[in-house]
Amino acid sequence: MTTSIRSRTRARAYALGYAARLTALAAALALLMAASGVSIGAIGQGLALALVGMGVYISFRVLNFPDLSVDGSFPLGGAAAAALIVNCGVSAEWTLFAALAAGALLGLCTALIHVLFKIDGLLASIIVMTGAYTVTLRVMTSSNIPLINQRTILTPYQPSVREWVIANFGAEARRFANNLVEIVVFSLVVIVMLLIVRWFLRTEIGLTLRAAGKNPQMVRAIGVDHRLMIIVGLMLSNGLSGLAGALTVQQLGFADVQMGIGIIVRGLAAVMIGETLLRPRTIGQGILAAIIGMIAFEVLRAWVFAALRLEAADIRLMSAVVVLIALAAPGVLRNIAQRRKTTVIESRDAQTDRR
Amino acid sequence: MLKLTDVEVVFNPNTPYEVRALRGLSLKVERGDFVTVIGANGAGKSTLFNAIAGTITPTRGTIQLNNRDITRTPEHVRSARIGRVFQNPLLGTCPGLTVHENLALAARRGRRRGLRPGVKRAERSVFADLLAMVGMGLETRLDSDVGLLSGGQRQAITLLMATLADPDMLLLDEHTAALDPNAAAQIIDLTVSLAAERHLTVIMITHSMQQAVSVGSRIVMMNRGELVFEICGGERAAITADDLVRRFRDLARGDELSDRSLLE
Repeated sequence: MTTSIRSRTRARAYALGYAARLTALAAALALLMAASGVSIGAIGQGLALALVGMGVYISFRVLNFPDLSVDGSFPLGGAAAAALIVNCGVSAEWTLFAALAAGALLGLCTALIHVLFKIDGLLASIIVMTGAYTVTLRVMTSSNIPLINQRTILTPYQPSVREWVIANFGAEARRFANNLVEIVVFSLVVIVMLLIVRWFLRTEIGLTLRAAGKNPQMVRAIGVDHRLMIIVGLMLSNGLSGLAGALTVQQLGFADVQMGIGIIVRGLAAVMIGETLLRPRTIGQGILAAIIGMIAFEVLRAWVFAALRLEAADIRLMSAVVVLIALAAPGVLRNIAQRRKTTVIESRDAQTDRR
Repeated sequence: MLKLTDVEVVFNPNTPYEVRALRGLSLKVERGDFVTVIGANGAGKSTLFNAIAGTITPTRGTIQLNNRDITRTPEHVRSARIGRVFQNPLLGTCPGLTVHENLALAARRGRRRGLRPGVKRAERSVFADLLAMVGMGLETRLDSDVGLLSGGQRQAITLLMATLADPDMLLLDEHTAALDPNAAAQIIDLTVSLAAERHLTVIMITHSMQQAVSVGSRIVMMNRGELVFEICGGERAAITADDLVRRFRDLARGDELSDRSLLE
């Protein structure tokens, strides 16, 4: 068993490398923010959206299912939260569970359409996403619900944090107080979800779910209906996306029926950035990479916006370009590295020829 | 044990592409039998396995396992009792998961899966002992990603996974064909020792006549979706690979079977 211990030591060494890359990335982002004056609000936004990254990681990476319906579950979760706070007087904390459930229900729809009617996953999710728009609009009853003067999960802590910030950092810093509250509260939610999802994916069901994404044939061969795993996985990923919608609504102070469009692209970008920069190996490292990837993406996006003096109208195109870069960069960099290696060899050859 | 009665499988029925893969095949396998199935490409061997495992539903006939009709039972329900190993070593194990995780998944075959931990520390020594039996040094690689292992190693793990929960029946579909001769021999040895140790009922498809005569208690030959002959008892004990090749060739001549390459 000594070699088994050795392989466990190897895993621990890799985890250390992962932690090092994580620290380096955090430092780089902090430097960028300090140098360019990007507001720490970007971190809060990244944390609010981090659960979308987590959901996309589960559907695209773990389950190997190209699910676009997070574009529908995100605004639906946000709409459910806003409508419950404003119209029903439900306390903001409880609306998080409602948003989770609403998103999960949408994931269930996508999964059932795929499983029962054997419709391609991409197509099934587009159908659900399209239909979800109407559901979101009906839940909201208008296209926009403002949360002005409503108690959200953030407001209870804002006054005391503002006082504390002013007392310690001066009146100048007061505009960062709300961002600080966002970061702390959202971090708490994200960490709790990270721990729950990591625990779940390591249970018997979770392990089977991971196998279903990699090798459905094998899952059937060990006596499990792999379709059941698709249902569980998509409910989980869309539930997370719905929860992210609820967090975002409470951060923005309003819910808008349009707010989900293109969110899947950001989720994918987060997963890609996280994987490229952190190279996760275990399931926990993968989930964490998606979260950190989303924060990094939001910070970079804020920086690009500030640096190029862009307007709100440019958001979509910029998001698309940043995602494109995140997707294409690893391959392009590898090509360049390869070419440099060959040119070095060629010039060396040329030198020997000259001699 | 396993009883197939008049099983017929037709692909694309009533079209120009109609293929009758199994033509009213009947077969009885008793508990503890080790049947080797030989036959040319397209003889219907894999279709037979697909019908037994539930990947396809026969167009006619019945399949019984332990006196229960399983003709229409879904594949994942049957696989609680039937273990299967494919030719492709990549199909039987799950890359991205460790050896331990793969074995743990298979150990819970046919049982309810819940929210208990997917892998248990207590299983490690059991799995390590099993892997040590294979003799490929796998007992030290419980925490390695299965995707990093060789085809032979993955096939050995698949074989262990298929037999871990004591299935009623083990289906081996040319499970050594994609391996190098050394690995193939190791896998065959493992197959034989597992079958003997656990008193398994095995059906093994093979293209190697040598394998067909050296392993198992019965030989069944298939051609064009039918069983053409069966060798068991005293005749089985006396037969050599050359005899089999001769009988194969006779059949091929009579049937104008074109695929001769498999005889070599």
